[in-house]
Amino acid sequence: MKGYRKYFLNKMIWFSITLVCAFVLNFILPRLMPGDPVALITARAVRGMSSQSGIQEVYNQYAELFGTNKPMLEQFFLYVRNVIRGDFGTSLSQYPRSVADILNSSIWWTIALQFPAIIVGWLIGNTLGALAAYLKGGVDKVLLPVSIFVSNLPAFGTAIILLVIFGVGLKWFPTSGGYGFDLIPNFSYAFIWSVIVHYQLPFWSVVLIAIGGWAIGMRSMSIYELNADYVKYSRFMGIKDRKIIGYVFRNAMLPQITGLALSIGTMVSGAIVAEIIFSYPGLGSTILTAVRGQDYPLISATTLLITLMVLSANFFIEIIYGFIDPRIKAAQAD
Amino acid sequence: MKRLSVVLSILIALSILLVACAPAATEAPAPQPAAEEPTQAPAPEPTAAPEEPAVEEPADPNALPRNETLYFNGLQWGAVKGWNPYSADMNNAMAIGDGNNNFSVQLPMFETPYMYSLLDGKAYPLLADGDYAWNDDMTEITFKLKPAAHWSDGTPVTAEDVAYTFATHIKYETTQGAAYKDYVDTVEAVDPQTVVVKAKLDANGKAVNPLQVAQYISNIYVLQKAWTETLEARVNGDAAAFKADPAEDVVWSGPYTKHFADDQKVVLIRDEEYWGQDASMWGKLPVPKYLAHTIYADNNAGLVALKAGEVDVSQQFNANVQDLWLKDNLPISTYIAEAPYMVSASLPTAYFNLKSYGLDNVAVRKAIAMAVDYDTIIANAMTNQSPTFNQVPRSVMNPTDGEQALYDHDAVADLQWTGNDIEGAKALLDEAGIKDTDNDGWRELDGKKLSYKALCPNGWSDWQAAIEIVAAAGEKIGIDITTEFPEWSVYQTVFTDATVNNYDIFMVWSNGASPTSPWGRARQLMSSEFAGTSGNWNGNWGGYTNPRVDELLAMIPGETDQAKLVEAYTELTEIYLTDVPSFSLMYRPDFFHTVNESVWTNFPTADDGLNIPPTVLVKGYGIAGLYNITLVAAP
Repeated sequence: MKGYRKYFLNKMIWFSITLVCAFVLNFILPRLMPGDPVALITARAVRGMSSQSGIQEVYNQYAELFGTNKPMLEQFFLYVRNVIRGDFGTSLSQYPRSVADILNSSIWWTIALQFPAIIVGWLIGNTLGALAAYLKGGVDKVLLPVSIFVSNLPAFGTAIILLVIFGVGLKWFPTSGGYGFDLIPNFSYAFIWSVIVHYQLPFWSVVLIAIGGWAIGMRSMSIYELNADYVKYSRFMGIKDRKIIGYVFRNAMLPQITGLALSIGTMVSGAIVAEIIFSYPGLGSTILTAVRGQDYPLISATTLLITLMVLSANFFIEIIYGFIDPRIKAAQAD
Repeated sequence: MKRLSVVLSILIALSILLVACAPAATEAPAPQPAAEEPTQAPAPEPTAAPEEPAVEEPADPNALPRNETLYFNGLQWGAVKGWNPYSADMNNAMAIGDGNNNFSVQLPMFETPYMYSLLDGKAYPLLADGDYAWNDDMTEITFKLKPAAHWSDGTPVTAEDVAYTFATHIKYETTQGAAYKDYVDTVEAVDPQTVVVKAKLDANGKAVNPLQVAQYISNIYVLQKAWTETLEARVNGDAAAFKADPAEDVVWSGPYTKHFADDQKVVLIRDEEYWGQDASMWGKLPVPKYLAHTIYADNNAGLVALKAGEVDVSQQFNANVQDLWLKDNLPISTYIAEAPYMVSASLPTAYFNLKSYGLDNVAVRKAIAMAVDYDTIIANAMTNQSPTFNQVPRSVMNPTDGEQALYDHDAVADLQWTGNDIEGAKALLDEAGIKDTDNDGWRELDGKKLSYKALCPNGWSDWQAAIEIVAAAGEKIGIDITTEFPEWSVYQTVFTDATVNNYDIFMVWSNGASPTSPWGRARQLMSSEFAGTSGNWNGNWGGYTNPRVDELLAMIPGETDQAKLVEAYTELTEIYLTDVPSFSLMYRPDFFHTVNESVWTNFPTADDGLNIPPTVLVKGYGIAGLYNITLVAAP
């Protein structure tokens, strides 16, 4: 257990260092973009206004409000202090909404869309890959290539094809929004049903493009394991096929689990393409508007969220790996 | 084994397909769940067919019955942030004037004394009773309020409310306050029904700008004094908090109020107690019970919804809009039945940076402007949704009849180039001695090659198409023009700041229709007060100066004699077309007013004789359309 503690501490230190670096970068990078977000808001507010002094006044008010007229270092320490208090500030592009409010209204849609989609895509992909490796024949020659073909369509392509076929052409599914255009959120059968129906196209557009990648990985890992010495040896020993397959897939799963954890880590960055094509609410389009509007507080908060998710996902995998695979712990602890 | 694997793979394929289609299979007969569940709203997805006049049970308060709801697109982008009419940050395009480049303000929830019509430039009384009157010196406007007008809490709208609203705008330094404080001195209540708006006076005792004073009364909402005081007390007089307050408790005077808003839609509901049903105003309530605006991610999503009949009134640019009825056979139409389909009100314009080498030479500027193929711009970038420069010759006016009547067409006819005049442009350059002296295919001025960058913001696709055509024109006449498309966030910090502006030829919008136009537009195009300034959102970004222009611009606002106005505007047009400090690339509508008549019909059109402007039924005098529409299938 001593070796494990050392391993754990080691990981913890790296985790902290990465987090601090990422935090600083999250603050600085958006602010290095050319352009002036306060001028953007001013432009919006003063369109059609013809008094020159009035325009300058409005600009100064906003600059004061967002503190962009202060030196960068001072802004940074203010930001650190506020974040520690759990206050991510006020959005620039969606002023006067707070960043927390914006994130809160979009993140649940993203999680509800992405999490099941990642899991379902992962399950289907791995099952396909494993079957292709084990059964060969039809699965390997037909199903796998088809799923890989579908996955390799660009995300917007898949989304648009789904939209055109099932939304516009067959009219089976609605083309935009998270719920019916003629409803207001409430706990009724009609609303929940509407949410489910609106969920389908974005969901499958995410799942379909994920399957192929998982399937290829799983297939090659499985083939490699199936030809491993321990499999041959087990066969000679007369161990049942079913039991051997159990071994094989457990070993082949390892990298897939890493991949899954990473996918879940990056999940909050949102399915931008699906969200935009289906006008589906979520973090992806929020981030996009934040970047286009140079909304520093919102960009910093979302990237911090993503950084945290990815880092924790990585961290937990490493920790769990230590348990699952003693070789790793041994190698790292030395 | 092999056969087993084939069978298995087919099974898996089938099961995946089934899973994928499972909800679809049950969803396909869309209207049925509604029929089975009489208490529910109509099915979430209406088919293309017009809605049956459903017999509504005591309605689900959470549903928006299709035959009581008017749906919009193209106005609201991103979530609504609040309902505070003192704020410029509410992003609430259904309820609050967005300060956009037109002065037909949103009137469903808050109301102005007068409603502006971009068709004739007139101000129609709303809260006001009858026309307003200037005093003889043109230093103050007097108008009366309708006795019937009352707030949503039942108290009457008084002159004191009007006066207090202006005082509040000034006190809390709102955007509206900043916009008018140079022109409006005070707003006073003479008695409960009578309001006097006093203009700021210049050194000679004349109003600084009477046009701006007249604009005030059709541009700034009247808000309740009592509620304003509540808000002031809530924020303890803090100006930033005052303007950031979402004002969920706001008191309104208009026919609609907030019903629901989230990231995906905003819905207004009719106020059954609306004062305007009094005979002194509309005499009835507006027809739709709900006004709803789904928030689409982009124009494409909005177009798909318009085609599907999920949108009744569309305010977004749909390329080749005529295909919707000619090819797709949809019940969709525009304000004008034939091209240009829309009423154009603004003139997106390319400015020459007079500091760039050679662009201070009028021959170079005019040659480029003459060589541009405007017909192609209008056909490609606007898909013919604006008139050509043959139909409406160029000037500083927009194509509306009101503005076109303000200058002498014959006097400037020789100056109005229509474009694609390559030979004429070449001759002009040759004559000015600007020739290709080193035979590299490009012309030189005093030995230095003429080479320019033409720019507009990235993603503004119709503008990008126009700028490409400008560059092509340059090549034809031997002037090297390359295009560049910076992000808007960068672009807007450069062209508005003369101290850093290194763009040679760059595109900016122009003033649309407003009570101060065309004066405001002429000022925007040429006034030297903006030349060389930074933080300039006003105009003359190229840095043009001409004392005669400034004289004319100073004279026009106080002038009431129509003949003298025409004379002044003609001279301005003459100077503009001679000096070419900038050149308009197209006419452009303020509103792409397009309607789908599968549920509602009887929308305003150009030839219905009602003179209701195409301002999507919520802005300015266009709101009159809400009182006339009818259901396709009568309930």
